[in-house]
Amino acid sequence: MTLTAIWAMPLIGGALVAFLPPRLGKWFGALVALVSLVVTGYVAFSIAPDYHGFQFNESLEWIPQFSIFYRLGVDGISLWLLVLNAFLTVIAVLATPVRARTSGFVGLMLAMSAGLAGVFMATDLVLFYVFWEAMLIPAYFLLWLHGEGPRPGGAALKFVLYTLAGSLLMLVGIIGEYIATGKQTFDLAKLATLAPSPSLQFGLFFVFALAFAIKTPLFPFHSWLPDAYLAAPTPMLITFAGVMGKAGAYGFLRIAVPLFPQPSDWWDWRWVIPILAVAAIIWGALMALVQNDMKLLVSYSSISHMGFIVLGIFSFNIQGQQGAILQMVNHGIIIAALFLIVAWISDLTGTRDRRAVAGLALRMPVMAGVFAVVAFAALGLPGLNSFVGEFMTLLGAWQRAPLLAVFGAIGLVLTPVYILRLFQGVMQGTPAGPVPRSDIYAGQLTLLAPLVALMFALGLAPGVLTSLMTSVGQAGLYR
Amino acid sequence: MPLTADLSYSWSQALADLNQIAAIATLTGFFLLAVVVDLVLPRSRRGGAVAIVAVVGFSYSLASALYRWRYGQGGSAYHGFASGDNFALFFEVLFASLGILTVALAHSYLNRRGLLESEFHLLVMAAVIGMMVLASATSLVTVFLGLETLSIALYILSGYARTENRSQEAAAKYLLVGGFASAFVLYGMALVYGGSGTTVIPEIAKNLASSASGNPLLLLGILMMGVGFALNVSAAPFHMWTPDVYQGAPLPVTAFMSVGTKAAAFAMIIRVFAGGLPHLAPEWQTLLAFVAATSMIVGNLMAIVQTSLKRLLAYSGVAQAGYMLIGVIAGGENGLAAVLYYLFVYMFMNFGAFAVITMLTGADGERDSFADLEGLGRRNWLLAAAMTVFMLSLAGFPPSVGFFGKLFLFTAGVAAGYTWLVVLAVLMSVVSVFYYIRVLVPIWTPSPRLERVPASLSTQLAIGLSGVASVVLGLYPTTLFIAGQLGATPITPP
Repeated sequence: MTLTAIWAMPLIGGALVAFLPPRLGKWFGALVALVSLVVTGYVAFSIAPDYHGFQFNESLEWIPQFSIFYRLGVDGISLWLLVLNAFLTVIAVLATPVRARTSGFVGLMLAMSAGLAGVFMATDLVLFYVFWEAMLIPAYFLLWLHGEGPRPGGAALKFVLYTLAGSLLMLVGIIGEYIATGKQTFDLAKLATLAPSPSLQFGLFFVFALAFAIKTPLFPFHSWLPDAYLAAPTPMLITFAGVMGKAGAYGFLRIAVPLFPQPSDWWDWRWVIPILAVAAIIWGALMALVQNDMKLLVSYSSISHMGFIVLGIFSFNIQGQQGAILQMVNHGIIIAALFLIVAWISDLTGTRDRRAVAGLALRMPVMAGVFAVVAFAALGLPGLNSFVGEFMTLLGAWQRAPLLAVFGAIGLVLTPVYILRLFQGVMQGTPAGPVPRSDIYAGQLTLLAPLVALMFALGLAPGVLTSLMTSVGQAGLYR
Repeated sequence: MPLTADLSYSWSQALADLNQIAAIATLTGFFLLAVVVDLVLPRSRRGGAVAIVAVVGFSYSLASALYRWRYGQGGSAYHGFASGDNFALFFEVLFASLGILTVALAHSYLNRRGLLESEFHLLVMAAVIGMMVLASATSLVTVFLGLETLSIALYILSGYARTENRSQEAAAKYLLVGGFASAFVLYGMALVYGGSGTTVIPEIAKNLASSASGNPLLLLGILMMGVGFALNVSAAPFHMWTPDVYQGAPLPVTAFMSVGTKAAAFAMIIRVFAGGLPHLAPEWQTLLAFVAATSMIVGNLMAIVQTSLKRLLAYSGVAQAGYMLIGVIAGGENGLAAVLYYLFVYMFMNFGAFAVITMLTGADGERDSFADLEGLGRRNWLLAAAMTVFMLSLAGFPPSVGFFGKLFLFTAGVAAGYTWLVVLAVLMSVVSVFYYIRVLVPIWTPSPRLERVPASLSTQLAIGLSGVASVVLGLYPTTLFIAGQLGATPITPP
């Protein structure tokens, strides 16, 4: 019941929050998020470190005619994303400004968080799909009803249709996998031992990978992202960019890779995906280079960083995949902090154009200090969290094919360029442009403090996370 | 071989056979009672009284069908012309529930529009009787009998708003197209009778077991009947009448017909094609696959450009017929069970959607444009929430019934080797999300409009029930699916 509580609590709490007045709604929502973080934390602390396979299992017959079960479980892979989701939800709810429609917003945020938690915990393919698609509903309403910019509805629709095009094809894939493996089960652990023929795997891998590639997003499927991220309100972006993108990468790691170990017929998907990942790393970085809108710049940087994660997953070795998981957590923390900082800068100065302001460090020194740490974390400075993850993914990629690592490393070179240009341009130099109303408040600093603390903690002691990732390289899950 | 059947008949046999069609018999009894009530009572009190008789009649009919489902022995009756098997009972439960929902919805609508009430309920009862006959018919003759009973009642119902040109037009159009459909079906039946030597459906299957393939009479019969059936389920390319009739007919009629006619026609298709012509399966499967594919494409693409909600739902219905046909084509226990499951839940989501639009009706007439939904979230919270559930369910989002219905249909389709059809269905579902979500936009966008949308208790109950069912039957689909499997067994003997 522990795992059920992790997704049911925010869902029920979210439904209740929607009926409360704004201020009360926000704090009640924060309480709900905090309680689910505590429960998630309990799971994290009591998980058995050396156990291979799912723990805290729950299994309930759901639709026996098709052997569909309600199956939940966590292991060293999903646990960290679950914690990340619960943690960022708390930050996101706390970062929500109190306005007239805050209650509805917080309610939808909690519902989305519930869906994401379900995606990370589901160990039955159909249940996974149910959560995967159900979370689109709150995401759509959040983007559309609470979005920014001239046409949030258009961005929301684009996001939903893009995602659905992939995920509905994945539904055919799920059915196909069920039938190809002899109509026995949708259990992920069992399906991993029943691989269909390579040519079937080729087709099935394609539909699954397409859904995950759109969600992540991977290089040619990313065009929904800038629109959606621009339209998304900042508190939403914390979980939307911080966690939902990881759901795609998680899908690769949890489903596409172990279920289809040999997806090669006309060509070998095991090479196509990492090449696309490298393309995403470079393309995202190049696009970030030319952006002047700070929010858009961070959005494109996200595409680039997600490329590293996918590259790590498709290195097919322990370093790469552990690095990928580590990087999912790292990126979630960093991107949340970056979006918060950018939003606050634009709130306080009234512009999102990075060329319009300069020398903010003198006018808001506290902000400058925090931003410096986050910027260094984002560009992968050793000692901060991102370095370890990116290094491990590239190491893994090098072992698979040195060329992948070489081209991936171009991203490492480009990241400092756009991040430092953003930081230096906005913060340093002689003060120019609109004068910020004030430095950031103590409350805002408190919100960033845990994120920054984690950047140091994970940078200095990544072993805390990796030591639990026993399922990676587990026999049977990866061959 | 024909006409050698035992034609002797006794009263006791007739009464015993009445058991098999208990739901129909009960409803017919109450129908006659309602006619009497309508004649006896003063004009001012007729409407409410007939409504009550109708609801009680439907409830009795529902109860008797459920009772027989649980305790009865299904078997053929009246020389094999009708049957009280699980297949019939499943549909009888569906139609009786639909009847209750329709009366609940129509009551306040008719008062608001100032239309006569008692005749309306009588006609709905007659139409439901026709649908039930269709579901329990095991002979081509009774199939046609049910089809005509149902259609004639619906022709009148479509033109029920007598003073409105559009309603008149709808009735005329439906009459003409329906007549065509019936003629096609009848011609096809005649040819199948000629090819098989009997009209009793199980006998047809038996007679054709050895010598089915290549008989041109049968092939032409299948083609003719296929066209007639497609007209009735409003599947493309025979869907042209649907948007016009749906738009012109009064909303409760549209709500009733969009579910009832479709379900009855599917019952007919399954009985005749899957039950009677299993040996010609490749032929009619090809035909239906073509119809399903065109329905999904045409319905979904045309729905995008509609500005009237009624027309939008009409085209959505065309597309949904396409999805359901996948289950018929796939066949087998699971394929047919998927169709039955989907039809049952389709009642809740589609009827519910029409019911919400019905509630927008004012004294000046129906309001079915997107603008009329503006600010519904504030104007009537229950209707807005219910409409959201119905649209998301029709679009197939989990955990609503629409998703599980599609999951079952698609699983059956892929298992039967129709992967291309399923992929097409999936791609078209993506398109469908676009227009279903478009309905939600005006509902939840903040709007200055604040006038309340009044809804009577009976309608609120009907809509609330449909909304709850659209979620609960999705979260727990097992029982209904098992019922669907049991319903499918008479068609696909093990």
